[in-house]
Order: sequence, then structure tokens, then C-alpha cells
Amino acid sequence: MLLYLLRRAALMVPTLFGITLVVFVVMAAAPGGISAQSLVDGMNLEPETRQALEDYYNRLYGLDQPAPVQYLRWLNNISPVGFEREADGSLGAFSLVKGPDLGVSFRYGRPVTDLLAERLPITLLLNLLSIPLIYAIAIAIGVQAARARGGRFDVASNVLLLGLWSVPTMLAGVLFIGFFASEQYWRWFPTAGLVRREAVDQTFLPWLASGADLLMLFALLGLSTALLVWAAVRAPRRARRYGGAVIGAALGYLMATDLQDAVPTMLHGILGLGGAALAGAMAGIPSKPLRIVFAGAVGIGVGLGLARALGVEIVHGGYLFDRAWHLVLPVIALSYGGLAFLAKLTRSSLLENLAADYARTARAKGVDEETVLWRHVFRNSLLPLITVSATLLPSLLAGSVIVESIFSIDGMGKLAVEAVQTRDRELVLSVTLISGLLTLGGYLLADIAYAIADPRVSYD
Amino acid sequence: MNTARGGGSRWGSLLGFGLVMVLLVLMMIQVDRQWQRMAEMTRIMQEQAEDIRRTRGLLRDLEQTLRSGDLRIADPSVRAAAGTSGLDAFERARRAAARPDYASGDWLMLAFGTGLRTLTPLVSADAYASEVQAYVIESLLTRDPDTLEWRGLVAEDWSISEDGLTITFRLRRDVNFSDGEPLTARDVAFTFAFIMNEAIAAPRSRAYLSKIESVTALDDYTVEFVFAEPYFNSLQLAGTLDILPEHFYGRFVDDPRAFNESRGLLLGSGPYRLADPEGWTPDQGRVELVRNPRYWGPVDPSFDRIVWRVIENDSARLTTFRNQDIDVYGARPREYQRLLDDEGLRARAQHFEYMSPTAGYSYIAWNQRRGEAPTHFADPRVRLAMSHLTDVQRVIEEVLLGYAEPAVSPFSPRSPQHDPALRSIEYDLERARALLREAGFEDRSGDGVLQGPDGRPFEFEMTFFQDNEDTRRMVLFLRDLYARAGIVMRPRPTEWSVMLENIQRKDFDAITLGWTSGIEIDIFQMFHSTQTMEGGDNFISYHNPELDRLIDAARAEVDESKRMALWQAAERILVADQPYTFLFRRNTLAFVDERIANLENTPLGLNLMAVPVEVYVPAALQRRR
Repeated sequence: MLLYLLRRAALMVPTLFGITLVVFVVMAAAPGGISAQSLVDGMNLEPETRQALEDYYNRLYGLDQPAPVQYLRWLNNISPVGFEREADGSLGAFSLVKGPDLGVSFRYGRPVTDLLAERLPITLLLNLLSIPLIYAIAIAIGVQAARARGGRFDVASNVLLLGLWSVPTMLAGVLFIGFFASEQYWRWFPTAGLVRREAVDQTFLPWLASGADLLMLFALLGLSTALLVWAAVRAPRRARRYGGAVIGAALGYLMATDLQDAVPTMLHGILGLGGAALAGAMAGIPSKPLRIVFAGAVGIGVGLGLARALGVEIVHGGYLFDRAWHLVLPVIALSYGGLAFLAKLTRSSLLENLAADYARTARAKGVDEETVLWRHVFRNSLLPLITVSATLLPSLLAGSVIVESIFSIDGMGKLAVEAVQTRDRELVLSVTLISGLLTLGGYLLADIAYAIADPRVSYD
Repeated sequence: MNTARGGGSRWGSLLGFGLVMVLLVLMMIQVDRQWQRMAEMTRIMQEQAEDIRRTRGLLRDLEQTLRSGDLRIADPSVRAAAGTSGLDAFERARRAAARPDYASGDWLMLAFGTGLRTLTPLVSADAYASEVQAYVIESLLTRDPDTLEWRGLVAEDWSISEDGLTITFRLRRDVNFSDGEPLTARDVAFTFAFIMNEAIAAPRSRAYLSKIESVTALDDYTVEFVFAEPYFNSLQLAGTLDILPEHFYGRFVDDPRAFNESRGLLLGSGPYRLADPEGWTPDQGRVELVRNPRYWGPVDPSFDRIVWRVIENDSARLTTFRNQDIDVYGARPREYQRLLDDEGLRARAQHFEYMSPTAGYSYIAWNQRRGEAPTHFADPRVRLAMSHLTDVQRVIEEVLLGYAEPAVSPFSPRSPQHDPALRSIEYDLERARALLREAGFEDRSGDGVLQGPDGRPFEFEMTFFQDNEDTRRMVLFLRDLYARAGIVMRPRPTEWSVMLENIQRKDFDAITLGWTSGIEIDIFQMFHSTQTMEGGDNFISYHNPELDRLIDAARAEVDESKRMALWQAAERILVADQPYTFLFRRNTLAFVDERIANLENTPLGLNLMAVPVEVYVPAALQRRR
């Protein structure tokens, strides 16, 4: 295993090397290229000063040298072992301990490492929230669709997910902002950024006016959530459907009231009916886990709403809540696209295993269908999902480029866009290097996880 | 059943344990934040204790002076001899504060379209950073928005020597930086020395100030600027130098790298300050200034805080403005027109169309020499014909929807540099045809395209910046207009960096761009023949000895009325010669939230961002306290 890991790690080096080479060639060959002139874009400079500034950049980054030399210089800089770089840009003595240096960004004039250290955690936060969400929902949907193949749920989820898959993130993000963050429609979420200015001065946890209020809030939250979850688990199908429809209609009506007044109009009718249909359908889903998640979410919302209506005084929401509130739309925009793919994969993998010989054997010896599904088939069907997780990370990193730009979140994605737009060579190369490293790391992790999950796979 | 129940309770206890752990971590973070908050408050209290100690010292000195009977009143004749008006820069702010609904409080919320790189003065190069710095750092003089005359800000008065080479400023004695240290003449001298230090990455400022030979602090409150040669803009050069505190920036003389790479080293004597003058980082996604409690000025600024958020996406920025989370939204003409019809928005926002003096002008530059050969545009008759063919009035009406005015010359029509007798060149197809015929361009082959005297068809490329929709529309419109006269124009949308390279190598036929402008501007860079050298801004190889002479004379003329006559003579040559076809000056279009009061258009533009602060929010409309 150790040998395998070492070999994989060694193989990563040429891959990364290739990635940076391609990026470097593309940037150097682009019309205009990278030159000291493009860095000195100020038109209000006196010519002598401009010349001096250009010389300064040439000295610092070696931009007047041929492209291959520039690339080799860059490689030398990022390699942990190599020639020291002197302050004036020339190469010094060979050193074994000089350490990697990602260079200084042209535009920001700051070390690239600092910039990445600021931005990387934000992108990772977005992705670490999205990945579990995508997996949980996709597996739940996939299992349910496979159990009743060709059934109503299977067809409906299929159509819906394919539809979602084909909506571009760019459009969805702008629509989210237009509908759910704008004064014109429902202003439920913030438009941009990761935290409201006011929340920075607040406490971390929500702050309520008194202890009684806190108790009441917990009681209402617990009560409504527990009640709805219990109903989702235990109530008969017909009762669930009607109950869900009633709650959905009420929520739809409230949504319309938020937009116009309480006087019933067309909109109230449409939203009420829509809410009833959606919640009714969700309550009628045969899959228990999906129902519980849905009922839990509605329960928390209803509990909070009831608390507000009953006069629980929330002095302020606090930093944590504010941050979570800002993350809702970006995380949804980032994750909806991956759902369809994963759910389809889970479904087909489950179907394949349900028809396998060992499942038939289990049924033949009298094991009931539930146990066959969960004890025998389910675990085996998860193996392809592990493989796929490796490709999920790069696509999410790419997706966060768009999502971060739309929601003005200062993460790696936005940094990459800015770097490409301003032809910040050191930054582009470093961002691709880090993204490449993360992706390759993801592949490696997936392979290791595969070996752990499946005893048949061994790398020795 | 039993095992299932056992499993259930195991999961339950695990879940409970996890919940408790999460709660514990959350509580720890909560306590940590409270701790940080307390440290912040301790810092503020220390600052206040320091202030009290200093005030006590001042009182003691005053008492001693009183006891010794050494008190005398400054001789008013001294002030009169210095020859300045007694007015200071706070007249308008005082008038605003005297209005019946004036109230201090609330936050001014603004937005940037792109992220900031750094806030450190000198290192930062963008307009966004200077917008923030204007509230934090002060200079010796400021322009009065009504009369456009210079008023003392940190300087009490000033005198200019007979030969115009020496300017002496007398500083106010009550100015403190926002950390409590007094501002003295030594800080001014230090600022100049700091900028001139080659190790500091401030080439722009260095080039700008290169006309100044020395800055000397004669005593604590007198500073002398000496110029190497007479220069028309010397007072502006000296008076608008942003004064940096020596005790704060002085340590970077030995460590220039730390300064050049810094992100938020910003401290000055202005009405606002950064809560932490060293701690700002771009990743916060916003800039926040708080009122400077030690501000020396006679009028305190109205807003408690000024906050800039970074919102890059245009539609998100508009939505944020609709939600009243930001107070200003700058719009493009088409968008502005559309938003004016939006009842909901108009009810909650004031809208302004104004001509900013720094807005500058757009132009088409005709390259007179490409490669080694002169182009068609080397002939002034051809350039004049092209200007006659360029229907600026229709471009303004149809592309910019009327939110612009035709530009006559580089000089703003509101500037004394401009000769009011000059008009912009009208669209006149017949006159253009006559001029072209005179220059030897005729359609001899009958294919609808003019041929030059050398028999080549009249074709050229128009290079323009690809990402500006308005420019693209204008260029396509002009193509049709030129085609009517038998001239083939090939539009060439170009990326910014490629465009810069083309300019650098003078590798283009015609290019459309803009220059920024000001109250009194220098045209040396763009039109003087010495600037045709490699990398110069006279990238069209324009050469006119008479204009060169006028520019040199005007730059060296200190007397204002004589200088203006010279500029006007230069302007007449530019209009007759048309090295550029001067297109238009755009209006700035902006929506401002309704609660901001006392907004007004001045000759310096909208007074929203004016320092000293003149706008405020009446008490009834305040949202944040």
C-alpha cells in the first residue's frame, strides 16, 4: 500500500508539470501576451518613468527573456530544491533547503501564497457544504427510484433532475438573486458576500431577549419538528398527503402575502395550489429518509415562524446564523447540478446489484426485500459513487468560479477569474497548480477509499 | 427487534453526544469573540486616556502662559500681508450643518464593482482606493466646489514668490492625525522625501512631482516648496500633496518592501479613519471607515461610518441598491433610461445626471505614420473631412441617449482654458467630400470607394476596446457613415492588453479611446512632438511646431490670464488641425438613496463624495445608529 501511495505521489509530479506547461504556453501565446508594457497600463505616466517601471518589472519577473527561460525560472521558483533567487532577480547559489516560492502576484503586488491562504478556505467551505448535501440527497433519491423502477417517483424524479441538470448555474444564480434576494419579489436572502456588516459586531450565537424566550423558542422548534417528523414516519399515506397539502397551501398563501397583501388574489391562489401540490407530493414519497428530511426542514421553518408570531423577541441573529443565511443560495446554486448525475448513478448501480445473483440467492433463502436492499445490495452499490467522488471535486471547483462571481464571494474561483482577466501570470499558474493538486489529491483519496471499502481491491 | 432497539439507542446516544460537542464548540467560539471585542474596547479606552493626558498637558501649558502674562493676539496685518482670502474649506459644510433638518448619524453604504488590491497610499493606483483615501488623508489645499478657487485645508495661508518658483505654506496649528499626533511641516517634508525615495513603489507620484526640487520645513508650521523651473500647475502640485504622518510611515524607509506589499496602511488627518490603520485586508470584501474622534476641523462629518462593499455582479449590485442596502448606484445610459421608468425604484431614489470635471473626453485618434510610411491621415484636410463625417450629435442621441455633450477640444467647455468662440465640428457630408477631393481622394474606378492620389483605395481599420457595448455600437454606426462618403472602415474589436501593445508600437490606423480631464489640464503628453518617442503618449506621430511652442510657453507661464490666452491659442490649432476627432464628454448617471439629503450638483460634480462632508441623513430617515 505504502509503495503504491509513493508511486502515485511520484506520478502526480509529471501531471502537474504538464498542467502548468499547458497553461504557461496558452498565456504566453495569447495575443498581447505578458509583457512589462501590459503591466504598466497607466496612460498617465511620463515616458521616462514608464520605461523605468518596465525595467523594474523585467528585472523582477524576467519578462524580457524568452518564454522557455521564463518557464524554467518559474519552475525553479516553485521547486523546493533549486537555485536561490537574489533580490535583483538573478539566480544565486544552488540550495537544497530554499523552499518553494509561488512568487508575487503582478496585480496585487503580494505573495501568491498569502492570497491563496486567504481565499482557499472560503472555496473549501462552499465545497465541503455542497458535497455531503449532494451525496445525501442523490443517494436518497437514487435508492427510492431504484426500488420502484418505472414507478411514478422514478419517472418524476428523472424528469425533474434532468431538467435541473440542464439549467446553467449562471442563469440560476441570477434568478435566485432576482427572486429570492430582491425587494421586488421575496427578500429572504442577502444578495452578495458572506456576512452582513452588522453581524460582525454581534455575538456568535443568536441572542434572545430573555431566558423565557429561549425556552419558548426551543420548545416551539422541538415541538413542530418532532410532530412533523413523527407524522412523516408514522402517519398513513392518505393522512400525510392531506396534511402536507394543507401545510403547503398555507405556506404558499403566506408567500403571496409577503409579496402583496393578505387580500386573496390570483397569485395567492396559484402559490397556494403550487405549495399544496409540492408539499403533498413530498409527503406522499414512499422513501422514509427523504420524508424525514423534508418534514424536519419544514418543521424548523414552521417552528421559527411560530416563535416570531408568538412574540419571542430575537435581539439579533448572531454571526453564525448570518453566515449560514448568506451561504444558502450559493450552496444551492453550487449543488443542484451535481444531483442529477449522482442520483442516476446510484439508481443504475442499485438496479444492477438488485438483479445480481447474490441478491437472488438472498431472496431465495427467505430474506425480506428491505434487508436484501439495505444489508446486501446498498453497500455494494456505493462503490461507483466513491469513484465518482474524484470527478465531483474538480467540477465543484469549476462551479465555484461562477457561483463566487455571481454572489461576490471572495474565494479561489473569483481569484482565478480576476487573475485570468488581468493576465496575472504567477497567480494563474499557482491557482491552476493548487486546483490540479486538489483534483489529483481527490483522485488519490478516492482510490484509497475504494480499497478500504472493497476488500477485493488491493494495490499490493 | 431487540437488536434494532439497541442499535437505535446507540445511534441516539451518538447523536446526542455529537450535538453536545457541537454546542460546546459554538460556545467556545462565542466566548472567544467576546474576548476579542473586549480587547478592542480596551484599546479604545487606552486611546481616550491618552487623549485626556494630552489635553491636560495643553491646559497646563496654557495656564503657565496666562500666569506669565505672555499672551498676545496675533497681528491681523500679518494675515492680510500673506494675501489670501480668509475663507476656509468648511463654508459649505457649515451651511449644511446649519440646515434645520441636519442630523449626524447613520452609515453611508457604497459599493465597488471590483475588489480592491490595496488601500495603502502611493502603492494603490486605482480610483477606488483614492475614493477611500480622500476621506482619510488631507492635503494642504482643496478646491472650492462653487468658485473652483483654492482654499486652505491644512494650510492656513500661502504665498508665492515673485518668480513663481517658491511657494510657502503656513500650516494650521490645531491639526492632529487620527492617532493624536500633531501634524507639522516636518510631515509634509517627509511625505515628499518618502515619495522621492526610489525604493518606494510610487513611480506615478514620483513622475508627477518631479517638477518640485525640494520641500523644506522652515519651522514646525511653515513649509517651503521650491520648483526647478516655472510650472503653471505648481500650486496644485504642492497643494494637493497628500500629507502622510512621519511617525507612522517613517519606519518603512528602511523596509520599503513591507510598504510596497502592504494592503492597508492608511492613516491621516481626515474626518474618517480605519478602525485599525494597519489591519485592513482585501479578503474582508469591504472597506469600513469610522468617524475620526480627534478630527480637528470646525465641522464634524455627519456619517458615523462609511462602508464600501465589493459586489462584482451588476444585477446583484442593482438588486442590493433596490433593497436599500447600498446608497448609490451608477448606471449606464441604456440602463439608466430603463430604470427611470421603474416606479418602485424612482419612489425610493433620487437620480442625477451630471458632468463630472474629471470625466474626460472620448476621441478617435488618427495615426499619421504607420510603420515607416505616412498614412492617409497625415493630411490635415483628410482628418478634418473625417471629423465632418463623424456625426457626433447622432452618436450622442442614439448610442448615449443624450447623456453626453460634444467635445470641442481636450479642454472642458467649463474651463478657462477653452475659447468660447470655438464650436465642435458639425456633420457635413458635402464639405467632407470637397475636402477629400481637394486632398486627391476621388472615386475614379466607379466602385463606390474613394482612391487616394496614389491610386490605393481609402480603407482603414478602427481599433476599439471590445468589452464596451456603447463603443461597439458607435463604431458600427460610424462605419455606415464613412461608407456613405466612399471610405471603407473595418472595425477591429481588441482586448485591452493587445490594444496597449498596438499603441506602444503605433501599429493601428485609427483608434477610439478616452482621456481623463480636469479643471486645468496639460496637453504636453498627447500633442507635443517630443512625446512621439518610443512609449510616449503622442502615439499618432502628430507634429506641429507652432503647437509645440505654445504648449512650452503655457507650461512655463505662471501668470494665469496670460497662460489661458496661450492655452486658447493652442486649442484653436487643435481644432483646425484635428489630430483627434473629439467625440463627446459623457454625463455621469447615478441613483442615490432618498434619505441622503443636501445633494447638489456643483462645478466639481455631485457633492456626494465631497470632503469636507456636506451630505447627511435627517434624523427621521436614519436607519443605522
